[in-house]
Amino acid sequence: MPQTRAPTAVIADDERLMREQLADALKDAWPELAIVGEAANGHEAIALVQSLEPDVAFLDISMPGMDGVQAAQALAGAVHVVFVTAHDEYAIKAFEQGAVDYVLKPAEVERLRLTCQRVRERVQQDPDPMEALLAQLSQRLGGAGAKPREYLRWVQASVGSNIRMIPTGEILFFRAEDKYTRVQTARFEALIRKSIKELLDELDPEEFWQIHRGTVVRVDAVDQVSRNLAGKQVVHLKGSDEKLEVSRSFTHLFKQM
Amino acid sequence: MTEPTSSAQKGALRELRDAVIVVWWRFFDWLAVVSWTKLLLVSGLGFILAGILQHPIPWLMFVVASVIIKIIAGGKRRAELSADEATQRAHTEQLQRTVVEARMEALQAQIEPHFLFNTLASIDQLIRTDPPRASKMQQSLIRYLRSAMPQMREGRRPTLGQQVGLCTAFLEIMAVRMEDRLQVVINVPEGLKSAVFPSMMLQTLVENAIKHGLEPKTEGGRVEIRAEVVDGQLAVHVLDTGLGFAPKGEGGVGLANVRERLAALYGERAELVISVPPAGGTCATIQVPYETVPAAT
Repeated sequence: MPQTRAPTAVIADDERLMREQLADALKDAWPELAIVGEAANGHEAIALVQSLEPDVAFLDISMPGMDGVQAAQALAGAVHVVFVTAHDEYAIKAFEQGAVDYVLKPAEVERLRLTCQRVRERVQQDPDPMEALLAQLSQRLGGAGAKPREYLRWVQASVGSNIRMIPTGEILFFRAEDKYTRVQTARFEALIRKSIKELLDELDPEEFWQIHRGTVVRVDAVDQVSRNLAGKQVVHLKGSDEKLEVSRSFTHLFKQM
Repeated sequence: MTEPTSSAQKGALRELRDAVIVVWWRFFDWLAVVSWTKLLLVSGLGFILAGILQHPIPWLMFVVASVIIKIIAGGKRRAELSADEATQRAHTEQLQRTVVEARMEALQAQIEPHFLFNTLASIDQLIRTDPPRASKMQQSLIRYLRSAMPQMREGRRPTLGQQVGLCTAFLEIMAVRMEDRLQVVINVPEGLKSAVFPSMMLQTLVENAIKHGLEPKTEGGRVEIRAEVVDGQLAVHVLDTGLGFAPKGEGGVGLANVRERLAALYGERAELVISVPPAGGTCATIQVPYETVPAAT
């Protein structure tokens, strides 16, 4: 990069006051740096970097739509990235490995001088694509990458004409009924359009057990299991008088109970 | 020489007197709580026995005396006994409730570091560019922080007015930071502000609306606090036009806390309902029995 031209930067943060604060601090810390653009989210930041080709991008980590880490991944190698964050111990740990710098909000002029010095040294070289760091960061922030499987914690169901979000911990059982599946809690019943089969894919198998082709029960809601006159296992629930039959293929579940 | 004997006699006498007193009060307690039929039955049996022993008159006098004692003192004694028991039970329950409540409040009162640092950074910027606004924002922050410190919340029962005030402080801060990405509507009738409403619950709902609904939404949106009384229940809604509820993920610790605290405070008489308005976003509603705090003296 030619040294004859003044270095340029863009700032991305969803809060205007934060952008102003950083711009003012940068004015003191690095007077010759020209702030050529400001963005309010990751998408805008990418567009700005692509059209203005600045030397440095100051990216806030938490932004709506697309966050700073995702934007940096998209811009890998196109610009030197400095992350800005209010408080994030994971991010700080990652940055300590030295690939790029980070700035804590509110940005202090003294600290920014060090950042600027680091960036100035780097501007001579091509930007580091930071692949490893970004992958690690985005995983820590809960973005893309290998994540443990997430199960349903809330079920969206209709109660009369309302749509309610029911925490799975309140559900006693699900039962297939015609086109719908009935969701029963201790207080009310609700309907969902998902089939038992679809539900089983999304529910935590530790939390819910299928006990019949059309019945899924929450394990913690089971009060006791008895046998009826026909010799079949019947599940009694806490908080409901309804009894649920266990079909033969699922009787092994209650062997230990 | 007679000294030790007499003191031993005195000791034995005292023991005998104590034993008689204990037996008497046992008998008195039994008499107080025993049912009339049982008393009649025992008297009849005793009478037969006394007849066999040829001494029915003293027994008859004893029975009459018992009946009189039961009539005069029984009711009072019985009431005392059941009151004692009830007090003890209520005390234990109250204690349990207080402990649960204190623990959960402490959990709930944790201030998000992100929120704190971002707000301080905004104030720092406003001090340079707009000092009056900085001062206003700082005052909002102080009001909000005060609410989040459990030891500052002692004393009288919290009212809806106080809770809405604290949420307003939080929303004022967020409105300065998010600018036109956040519109705030407070729709709480003046008359409902003296209603009893548990602390730190509305805050959780409002913070959720911002953090999970509106902050992650590029164009932002609106948050509304609305209160009404329906069938003797006070319903307080927090509506947002944000991203909507994510059914997966481990979030919802705050909501689970609200739910547990409601159950500890009101049992079946209170409820937290999360629903999805037809236009999208999220509506969280807390329903508690409607009661007002007597005017401060």
